[in-house]
Amino acid sequence: MIRAEGVEATEFPDLANQFNVRGVPQTVINAGGGSVVGAVPEQNLIAEIKRAMNQ
Amino acid sequence: MEKLLNEQIIDQIKQTFAQMKEPVQMLFFGSRENCDYCAEARQLLEELAAVDEKLGLSIYDLQDNADVAAQFNVDKAPGIVIAAKDGDQIIDFGIQYSGIPSGHEFGVLINDILLVSGRDSGLSEPVREFLKHLEKPLHLQVFVTPT
Repeated sequence: MIRAEGVEATEFPDLANQFNVRGVPQTVINAGGGSVVGAVPEQNLIAEIKRAMNQ
Repeated sequence: MEKLLNEQIIDQIKQTFAQMKEPVQMLFFGSRENCDYCAEARQLLEELAAVDEKLGLSIYDLQDNADVAAQFNVDKAPGIVIAAKDGDQIIDFGIQYSGIPSGHEFGVLINDILLVSGRDSGLSEPVREFLKHLEKPLHLQVFVTPT
């Protein structure tokens, strides 16, 4: 149900461009449904996940 | 081929892996086409797997083993799944890395191995509760660079 994938941005530049990755780390949720820049606290990431998933 | 990990690094990894609790299996997916870092990534994992017997490695090809790749949701090469191992069974926790885990990301790989070995996400109780009740699949892609 949950998949967490680290993506090396310089090796997959097309994907990074597709999701407008401007800085690292940047977490893209469900193929661009949401996005968080930086290493944020757990609660901030969850808040963005909730927003992205409408839950 | 020259070793990627020198003796000093191997010693450090050995000490770190002393904390490993349960066995971990790395699944490597390479590709013969358009994969600049596949050979190096594979060698890195082979040297790493040789450090501790609790850490195993299986080698696959994205095209030749398309069924295994699909089973573990791997669509890039090099692709690395860090899974739990229980006897002959491989248990997928959905933790994977796309690309060569070098530089800073090598440390992240080591931490992932320890995390899977401990069989504990380390997340807070409310977050676990929320994730337990997800109605739709959640895919997180954390874009990183090696430095």
